[in-house]
Amino acid sequence: MLPTRRADLEEFAASVKKAVPRDLDDLYVERVNEVRWRLRGTLAASQHTLTREGAAVRRGGRLSSADGLDGAVIASLLEVPRRGLADLDAPELPSAPTLDEVVAALGVADVDLRWRGVWSAVVRDGAVAEGGKPALLEIVHPDGLRQLTVWPPAPDLEVLPPASEAAAPRPGRTTVLFAPAAAAVLLHELFGHPLEADSLLRGASPWAGKFGQRVTPLALDLDDDPGAALPGAYVADDEGSPAGVRALLRAGELVGAIADRSAAPALGAAPGNARRATCHAPPRPRLSNLVVTAGGAEPPRAEARLEVTSAYSGTVEPRSGTLLLSVRSAWHLRGGERKGPAGAFTLSASVGAAAAGLVAAGGLARASAAPGWCGKNGETLPTGAVAPWLLVAGLEVR
Amino acid sequence: MSRPPALDAALEAAQRARARCEAFARSSETWHLRRDASGCWETRDAREIGIACRVASPSGNAFAVASGGSARYGSNAVRAALESVLPGDDPLPPASELGTTPIPPVPAPSSDEARRAFVEALAGAVDAVRPPVALVELRLLEGRATSWIATSDGFTATQEAGAASVELLLAPGEGPWRLTHASFVTLADADPAHLAEQACAAALLAPRGGSPRRHLCDVLLAPAVAAPLVAALARHLVATPPDGAPHASKRVKVSPVWELTDERPGPDGMLPLSWDGEGLPARRITLLSHGRLRERLASWADVQRTRVAAGGAVRRSLRDEPGAGPANLVVRAAAPLSEQELLAALDEGVYLACPAGAPRVDEHTGAFSLRCAAVGIHRGRAATAHPLVELRGSLPRLLAGLAAAGDRAERFSLECAVTTPSLLVRRLEIA
Repeated sequence: MLPTRRADLEEFAASVKKAVPRDLDDLYVERVNEVRWRLRGTLAASQHTLTREGAAVRRGGRLSSADGLDGAVIASLLEVPRRGLADLDAPELPSAPTLDEVVAALGVADVDLRWRGVWSAVVRDGAVAEGGKPALLEIVHPDGLRQLTVWPPAPDLEVLPPASEAAAPRPGRTTVLFAPAAAAVLLHELFGHPLEADSLLRGASPWAGKFGQRVTPLALDLDDDPGAALPGAYVADDEGSPAGVRALLRAGELVGAIADRSAAPALGAAPGNARRATCHAPPRPRLSNLVVTAGGAEPPRAEARLEVTSAYSGTVEPRSGTLLLSVRSAWHLRGGERKGPAGAFTLSASVGAAAAGLVAAGGLARASAAPGWCGKNGETLPTGAVAPWLLVAGLEVR
Repeated sequence: MSRPPALDAALEAAQRARARCEAFARSSETWHLRRDASGCWETRDAREIGIACRVASPSGNAFAVASGGSARYGSNAVRAALESVLPGDDPLPPASELGTTPIPPVPAPSSDEARRAFVEALAGAVDAVRPPVALVELRLLEGRATSWIATSDGFTATQEAGAASVELLLAPGEGPWRLTHASFVTLADADPAHLAEQACAAALLAPRGGSPRRHLCDVLLAPAVAAPLVAALARHLVATPPDGAPHASKRVKVSPVWELTDERPGPDGMLPLSWDGEGLPARRITLLSHGRLRERLASWADVQRTRVAAGGAVRRSLRDEPGAGPANLVVRAAAPLSEQELLAALDEGVYLACPAGAPRVDEHTGAFSLRCAAVGIHRGRAATAHPLVELRGSLPRLLAGLAAAGDRAERFSLECAVTTPSLLVRRLEIA
């Protein structure tokens, strides 16, 4: 958690209320520090530092935003005189780690690294809610794979090895075993985005109208948990609503959605998942960290023909509900034994078929540095996951 | 827009530290309009301003960025840079190399009323298209930016840029939703009826059908599909590729059909520039012509290592250090073909009509993949529809395999501006 001067923030919030800005819904303020390193071996070939401050005001359905946190900037956004506003004394962010600390913690070489510390707060009705977002560390591999973890990272964080240059597996339908890092991407696409309120309400989600139905043969429990110590964590969302655990699946049945203030009543869901990519983007209902509580026994290897160890990304086509996963690294399996590496390929299925093919989970559910940065409509946010090994039948190799 | 105080504060802070400094500031205003199927509006306006500083001192050089335009942001950026100096050569071009090139004036941005009227006209034009295609969402983005560069050697320059982009998310009667994208120098250049007709035609092209078998075939890339691949190709044609990536050598096989230039000063292309990302005068850079790689894009630091011509630097965003890269790409053809002639030349293969997302490009190997809506072509005629295929290939294959280009170019605002017609490419993989 980042240090804040609570009394100063409350004084600022009270002064905003006293200034009586016309039709104000909320004021969002943020401060971001970033350090980027490009490594040659384990030495820095370059180091860049970035600080960003900005604010945004919502009023009557319009979002106005500006860079800087000077009094003049905020007064201009609020359309009130500068004189009555208290200074916003945003807290200092913690210092970035040194490159030596990062390299020692992760054991990486020949990658790009990006550390990011962020502070944000929402002022609404004279009260202030701080975001409480964690510092993050991103690893960008030479082939474009991006891993994202909280900083400092968990001691058992796995930095993925370089991708295999082996040939892609033959096209066709098959049964696939997903390692936790790949299962994290699968669950993110299969249940995370399609259960976001905007997708559900405009009919883009294949899960629209299916609440209360069992959609996986596996008795899977899945939550969205912004309280987990993962990249998508926060204490209050970007509308100032307190964070809470949202149950999405219980024993394979769809039970909940991911909502912000405006969409929550229509879905009978609780708000608390409004997230902004930057101060210039509006808050939208977005998932945070997906956490699976299944698992336990050994990974179900024997039935699988492919073991997917990492994925670049995934996507679900709106309405058609076609799931596509870009696999980065995998193994051919025979009788549960690895028989050789497989190169990059694409897995596809309809969302319904992929969920219906989700037949088993096993192994310890664990956090991995995936899915990481998640883009939707050009707005990118950090996300995390805790996932076990998953066995999925009926996926198509393309 | 007036020169931000951050710029002079940065130069003063660098002078106090006896460091050479290049301060770059950008101030932009963007206006977003989003209209959904029910006619609900979302409006946004953003004022972004920031400063990026490169400093060079006897102990090395560094780069830092701060958002905000007041003086403290300029001095903060220089202080952050000086705290992260790494050993290395001075990357800053000498004052004698810096300068400007005249460019066409930037049209004034539209008014709020004009933007709203355009969105309503476009939504109405989509409603009028037959067979019907439902409008899920319409997004309009218009922006205008002013950039300043000032160096401790006394050079100073400014330039303006502006553009508008329109995205339509469409739901045909059956099949997946389609997102189409078009960009314009000014909104006044956009014809709502033509835009609606073109976007709906793309949305209706491949509503249902299976996946093709994985195979190598000839492909015809519509401009919207060609544009991101042309941008990726130009990124590959730099003097100093990313660490470990192969160099695009002068002996690389290039199809004689390629005529690719970076039209930095305009007037062609969508985003003309007066100076490059480091303050060198903008110039026309011919990348591919007459079956040969003519020039590679180079920053000033690249020039010191490779002896190629400078002037090819860009800033991909305020937060990125200037580096070699494309800015305002234009693809032409010596013997352009009409769409019908292109289909006839394709004969057997796949027409890729509409991208579904951005391409994934491995900058080191040049391998790329891009998902698209597609139509299988048999004897020059549409034979099968494929709502979603994956195009796979490599940038060297794209360089060598171009067989023909169309006669109607379209403009796109991607990480750089791209103006390209349809492209016919031999032997890429479809799955």
